[in-house]
Amino acid sequence: MPDRPAETLSTAPSGAAAERAVDRLQGMAADVRGCAVIASDGTALAATGERARWGEAAAGLLAAADAAAGEPATQVHVATEEGEAFAVRDGGYAIVAVAERFALASLMLTDMRAVLRDLARAAGSADAAAARTLAGEDG
Amino acid sequence: MPPKPHRVLIDRVSGYADEAVAYLRRRRHSRRPFARVDVAGGRGASHSPDGEAGRELFLAAARLIEVARR
Repeated sequence: MPDRPAETLSTAPSGAAAERAVDRLQGMAADVRGCAVIASDGTALAATGERARWGEAAAGLLAAADAAAGEPATQVHVATEEGEAFAVRDGGYAIVAVAERFALASLMLTDMRAVLRDLARAAGSADAAAARTLAGEDG
Repeated sequence: MPPKPHRVLIDRVSGYADEAVAYLRRRRHSRRPFARVDVAGGRGASHSPDGEAGRELFLAAARLIEVARR
């Protein structure tokens, strides 16, 4: 399902904003076992578990999806017997999540896109505040 | 600019409609694993675990699922 792209982030969302995004996604979707916010360099900004392990595994999934599609993937859904893996990528950032088998996929992806959009908006607000500060300092 | 309220509603309603379609598709496939990758512009494709690209996708997803289990 195509969707409006998130704003491109010129700065990384803060760790606190990423943590809030992870908490929010867990609260929105009851079937989520765990999730993480991934930066463009593959590092996990926040995760429900060990960030390094989430970052590594998420980078692997996104790389496999890019290779399968032949271009950067914006959305990934893999359903296995053990659970379901999701990834949504936009604006240089991504959210990955693992859910129970037969989770409501389209709602899950809609929630992930909403969280990613809000994260982009938060980072955009931080950019604007920094610009205003700089302008104030110059004036 | 905040998202328009009707936009959120449309997203939710179309989400339920998509879910109904997905449910029927899943029932047809009767628990068979699948992988789907979408790219910009709404294009996308499904990948079988029998192909090389699909196999890599399933391996990567299994690693992610394992991380979530801990």
